[in-house]
Amino acid sequence: MKFRYAMVCSSNQNRSMEAHSLLKKQGFDVSSYGTGAHVKLPGPSLREPNVYDFGTPYKHMFEDLRRKDPELYKRNGILPMLKRNSSVKLAPQRWQENAADGSFDVVFAFEEKVFDMVVEDLHSRDHALMKTVLVINLEVKDNHEEAAIGARLTLDLCQEIEAAESWEDSIDDIIATFEKQQRRKLLYSISFY
Amino acid sequence: MMTMNPRENLASLINSAKSASDIPSKLEPLRQLKRGLIQQHDLALVSESLSLLSDRFGPVRKFVTEMIGEIGLKHFEFLPEIVPVLITVLSDATPAVARQAITCGIELFRSILEKVAIQGLYSSELDSSLKSSWSWVLTLKEKIYSVAFQTGSGGTRLLALKFVEAVILLYTPDPNGSSEPPPHDGKFAKFNISWLRGGHPILNVGDLSIEASQRLGLLLDQLRFPTVKSLSNSMIVVLINSLSTIAKQRPAFYGRILPVLLGLDPSSSVVNGMRVSAAKHALKNAFLTCLKCTHSGAAPWRDRLIGALRDMEGGGLTNQAIPEVCKINGSLGEGKEDSPVIKEEKPTIKSCDVLDVNLGSKRAGVPDSSDLAEDENVPGKRVRPTPIASEELTRESEKNNTMSQDDVSSIGPTTSRGDGDNGPVQQLVAMFGALVAQGEKAVGSLEILISSISADLLAEVVMANMRHLPPNHLKGEGGEESLLNMTIVGSDSKAKYPPSFVADVLSLSSTFPPIASLLNAHWSESNDIVQKPCDEKEDVVAEADSVLACDGLDHGSENALLPTDLPASSVVSSGMEKGCFPISSDIHDVGDLESEIPGLDSSAHTDGLSETLVTSSMASTDLEEASQEQVTSLGQSTLKLLPSMSTDKSEELSPKAAVTDVSSLVSSTATSVGLSSNFVLPKMSAPVVYLDDEQKDYLQKMAFIRIVEAYRQVAVAGGSQVRFSLLAYLGVEFPSELDPWKLLQKHILEDYMGHEGHELTLHVLYRLYGEQAEDRDFFSSTTAASEYENFLLTVAETLRDSFPPSDKSLSRLLDEAPDLPKSVLKLLEDMCSPGNCDKAEELQSGDRVTQGLSAVWRLIMLRPSIRDACLKVALQSAVHHLEEVRMKAIRLVANKLYPISSIAKQIEDFAKETLLSVISGDATERTDAEGSVTEMQKDSYLEKPVDEHPSVSVNSKDISSDTHQSSTCQSVSSLSVSEVQRCMSLYFALCTKKHSLFRQIFIIYKSTSKTAVHRQIPILVRTMGSSSDLLEIISDPPSGSKNLLMQVLHTLTDGTIPSSELLFTIRKLYDSKLKDIEILIPVLPFLPKDEVKLIFPNVVNLPLDKFQAALARLLQGSSHSGPVLTPAEVLIAIHGIDPDKDEIPLKKVTDACNACFEQRQIFTQQVLAKVLNQLVEQIPLPLLFMRTVLQAIGAFPALVEFIMEILSRLVSKEIWKYPKLWVGFLKCALLTKPQSFGVLLKLPPAQLESALTRTAALKAPLIAHASQPNIRSSLPRSVLVVLGLAPESQTSNPAQTGVAPDSQNSSQVQTSQAQTSQAQTGDTGNSDKEVVTEKSKESSGAS
Repeated sequence: MKFRYAMVCSSNQNRSMEAHSLLKKQGFDVSSYGTGAHVKLPGPSLREPNVYDFGTPYKHMFEDLRRKDPELYKRNGILPMLKRNSSVKLAPQRWQENAADGSFDVVFAFEEKVFDMVVEDLHSRDHALMKTVLVINLEVKDNHEEAAIGARLTLDLCQEIEAAESWEDSIDDIIATFEKQQRRKLLYSISFY
Repeated sequence: MMTMNPRENLASLINSAKSASDIPSKLEPLRQLKRGLIQQHDLALVSESLSLLSDRFGPVRKFVTEMIGEIGLKHFEFLPEIVPVLITVLSDATPAVARQAITCGIELFRSILEKVAIQGLYSSELDSSLKSSWSWVLTLKEKIYSVAFQTGSGGTRLLALKFVEAVILLYTPDPNGSSEPPPHDGKFAKFNISWLRGGHPILNVGDLSIEASQRLGLLLDQLRFPTVKSLSNSMIVVLINSLSTIAKQRPAFYGRILPVLLGLDPSSSVVNGMRVSAAKHALKNAFLTCLKCTHSGAAPWRDRLIGALRDMEGGGLTNQAIPEVCKINGSLGEGKEDSPVIKEEKPTIKSCDVLDVNLGSKRAGVPDSSDLAEDENVPGKRVRPTPIASEELTRESEKNNTMSQDDVSSIGPTTSRGDGDNGPVQQLVAMFGALVAQGEKAVGSLEILISSISADLLAEVVMANMRHLPPNHLKGEGGEESLLNMTIVGSDSKAKYPPSFVADVLSLSSTFPPIASLLNAHWSESNDIVQKPCDEKEDVVAEADSVLACDGLDHGSENALLPTDLPASSVVSSGMEKGCFPISSDIHDVGDLESEIPGLDSSAHTDGLSETLVTSSMASTDLEEASQEQVTSLGQSTLKLLPSMSTDKSEELSPKAAVTDVSSLVSSTATSVGLSSNFVLPKMSAPVVYLDDEQKDYLQKMAFIRIVEAYRQVAVAGGSQVRFSLLAYLGVEFPSELDPWKLLQKHILEDYMGHEGHELTLHVLYRLYGEQAEDRDFFSSTTAASEYENFLLTVAETLRDSFPPSDKSLSRLLDEAPDLPKSVLKLLEDMCSPGNCDKAEELQSGDRVTQGLSAVWRLIMLRPSIRDACLKVALQSAVHHLEEVRMKAIRLVANKLYPISSIAKQIEDFAKETLLSVISGDATERTDAEGSVTEMQKDSYLEKPVDEHPSVSVNSKDISSDTHQSSTCQSVSSLSVSEVQRCMSLYFALCTKKHSLFRQIFIIYKSTSKTAVHRQIPILVRTMGSSSDLLEIISDPPSGSKNLLMQVLHTLTDGTIPSSELLFTIRKLYDSKLKDIEILIPVLPFLPKDEVKLIFPNVVNLPLDKFQAALARLLQGSSHSGPVLTPAEVLIAIHGIDPDKDEIPLKKVTDACNACFEQRQIFTQQVLAKVLNQLVEQIPLPLLFMRTVLQAIGAFPALVEFIMEILSRLVSKEIWKYPKLWVGFLKCALLTKPQSFGVLLKLPPAQLESALTRTAALKAPLIAHASQPNIRSSLPRSVLVVLGLAPESQTSNPAQTGVAPDSQNSSQVQTSQAQTSQAQTGDTGNSDKEVVTEKSKESSGAS
């Protein structure tokens, strides 16, 4: 595994963590982030989400929600998800505050909005290292089933990228092949650290 | 290690790295080596380590490259050694290694450039080593350039392009950076080339700029047609990103970069369709980045950027983008608010608060008095249509040298657009603008101008000017209303303002029917102006004055137009006073305040708002209005954006910057004229009242309720649609604890018709559905889904409960709702199958069922997606236990749904399964009940349904699983007829539509409840008629279904004439398969007489009851052709049967005869006489002839005379030769005595004797009869001998004459004797056993 990967969604809970979990199992050097202002989890109604700060441990959220309404959160899959997440890492991390984590080679976003934020954030950082970073957007709906599918596709794509000698030279082909095979549109951008 | 000579140590590390065989073991010593080499200052070691670059492993070479790069950074004097190596590495076969070389190159170049620049700042000579390093990095730069611009070096090229970008940025001044060079040897955050002021020993700012410009040109060329065609997609993305970075950081290049980017059409540049999106997306982001840039150079591009974005996204995005931009500006304003003092000191913060920062910049640029002098030249030019601003820009760019002609040409199109419409009015407007902009000095000229033009023209000028008013200002009435609202908020405290101030407010507010938000905006702007006097009294006061003067002019005319506004405006002012009450005392200080103005804070609040206004008005005018507007908008945008530039103190870059600044300021005032004192309102504070959450909620709720309740007014005004959308939208946005849905539901259901409940409900549903379908994240969509379901269900339930069944509202709602969740289907199900739910009262309401079913029908027709679910509802209803319900549903299913081909199969399967469910439980029971007789047969037949059953259930499992279950459990318990009927009705109904289905009923017939089936058959078969399908079934009926077949045939022939096909089929069936005469019975009347006669023996062979029925049919015949057989023919036919030959038991034949005799009204005397007449002629005589004769006498005693004749004919036919008939004959004679005596006496003597011996009872009466003289005389002697009336001897002849008188005498006696003997026959009869038994049998048969 020659590259460092980052999985990014908005809350670093579902899509990015699904992919993180899967890639980690496959032995990839992977991190995950969210680009939102806060970590948002479903609440009893649409207007009452559970909001946490990034850095709040998954375990803490788990306990909190279990106290609030174990039945509801079990049913909508939040508790199992948090449990899974806490086995992957300690707490959700925010993309915009990850400068200390070093540079990544490949960043996956799972929503165009997130992709834009990542690209813009990278754009606004100092390009001191002059190291290329590939940012890919794979559109994945924010639900458990789609997240699992998305993670699978991400893994495929990562393996493709790993297999290439230099993605800078072959990224167009990799993307085109993937799009053709999976019938999914990808967006990508190249930024620098 | 520590004791070892560090140098030796490092040398050994180099060796071990060389000698190691795999990558990890090579990298490990290299890491140590790197640490060591960076600390050590040893060129020899470094050059030795360079040899590692020939290592065969890419990662090792990459690491070494990185290492020497870092060494170079640390010890630049090694560069003459290092750079050549890096240059060779550039062409390394492994892209990663080559890229590393470029990365090192960027770092080295930046580092050396900074060193050279800083050193040159403070001394006129540079180190020779630094010089040589510099020349080396320049060489390296050229090499990397060549990589960047040569085609086809793939991934390496991406980084080389990045290098070019870095160099361009390094070579050009950073407008955001500090232009003050750092102190010698001091630390600096970011290098800025603008530190160099000329006189640098090596670096010439101008040359560097030229180079940067050239390189930029090369980058741009890459994206131009046709080069762009040959680029890979990744290259395009990187280029776009790089260029947008450059544009963002060096706004001066906007004019060169944007035309290229805007001209770049990614779809045409890339052949492969798949790749377009990435480049397009990059482009979009680049545009957005550029749009967000607040630098002045960016301003002219705004429209085109927005246009391009709009093209890309079809409008949606730009609408987002503009507020976004505003938001950013606003947030900058907020940022400034936090540190007002700092702002005064360091005007580096980009800001959009135009005038405010201008003040800062002015103060900074106070020495530039010449700039102010420039100012005076401006008005003259102003009058010319060519926008000064762009000219200034052009001039600036020329001076700057870095900009090429691109600029002019690119600005060209923007300005040329404005050249179109230059009427005298517009020119005058411009002139006024220019004069006003000049301030006090121009007052005189203004007056002259005003007095010299005609009143008409002046009016036109004013009118033309009014176009610049924001459109909503002109709404007089609306404004007034909002005024009144404001007074409600209004206050007690009157002005603490200076009277003149209040007057200003008054007059201005009269010009603009105030709307609170606008006022805020004006307020802030005017605040700035008010603020000016304290900072720069001389010119600015004058300026402000003149502006106000001009303004007075404006609203003078306004007043004429809208005189009613005046009183209202006074109200407003008090309202506004209230608004600013909290800070009013501060504002009072405005006159002499210093830097810390609390009022400023509030103005900052509203900046964002005013920006919005400016931007929006700009956008609108720009697009539509003619030349002068173009000028103003351009000026305006410059005005807005210039501060950032002016605060840069970028004099070095452009000595004319201050000029531009001023001119833009001028243009800003011109603009303020153009926008009719949009900017000149005196300072007022926003009427901001801070509410706590509870109050906010309350307010929201009140607003919502108000909209809800305003339906009547809104409807009258024609705004219902808007109201619906608004309510639906608000409902989604509101916090759930306010429960907007409940409010809405209540309103809707109060008066569904009157409140346009349907439309409103649909709006809400679509809104919620949209929310759900948008699927932003899974919880918002699930919540929306549940709210959706809840809303729809509540409305639907209420509609059902509150409206009569005939009402169509519910059905319509269900038709048009975007989606029907399960619970709604459940509601329908309960309607269609009442009793499944436990509401007993619903049982009566059959109309509800109809309503539900018709809704279901519509749904099935209209909504293919939930067709299955709806069908299930209908089908369940079709097997409902209440017949009324069931029949309704069956009518729907069979008549309306079954003809739909797409669901016919499902319906069929379901019906079949329910049908079969009846027998599966029933069959076992029947076997027990019927016993083993049928068992053998049954086994073979059971297999079929058993086989079929699973396959059917697989087909239709989804539909019928529940119902099936329920019906099977019921069928386990004994199945009542009604239960069976419940399950069968649907199938029967389907049979009428598709006759071939009928076969299944034949198949299951034997194992199901006969009654249930028979009950249904007549209707069914009558509907079907003798269709070809039915005939086919008839022609090959499954065994065991004979009874059914019979019923079918009966029904088919009942009252109608069967078709010839049917007759043929039945005949064929009878002839080939089913040799059962029964099946012919129904059609007997329609068969030809010959055939009937042919089969008649078989008919006779039927059980008696069936024979009787058949007999009836035969005799009755069909209505058109009359009876097939006459009664006589029937009897003759019966007698024609030969029991032996026809294999029909004699008993059957006699029974048949008896049956005929029972019907005396048909088989009358005449008939019998006719029959006997014919029969007696037959040879041989029919077996039963005598029996029939006897019966005939029994039935019709009046026939006795006729019978006697028959008997005498029998005598002549020598009846005694037929022993059986002879017995009958004698019996008949006995029965018919004394009439039969005549016949007996005709018998030959031998036969007479035998007769008398056989039937002793006859003897005495016969002798008595014969003894009568007249008879005796006529008798031959031989007879008399037999009778004993003549002696034996005389038997030969005389007996015939002599005996007769005797017998006549004795006949009297004999008659009386005969009477008694007849009575005695019963007792004496046992002498002749045969006769007696025969007789008793007859009597029993007759009874």
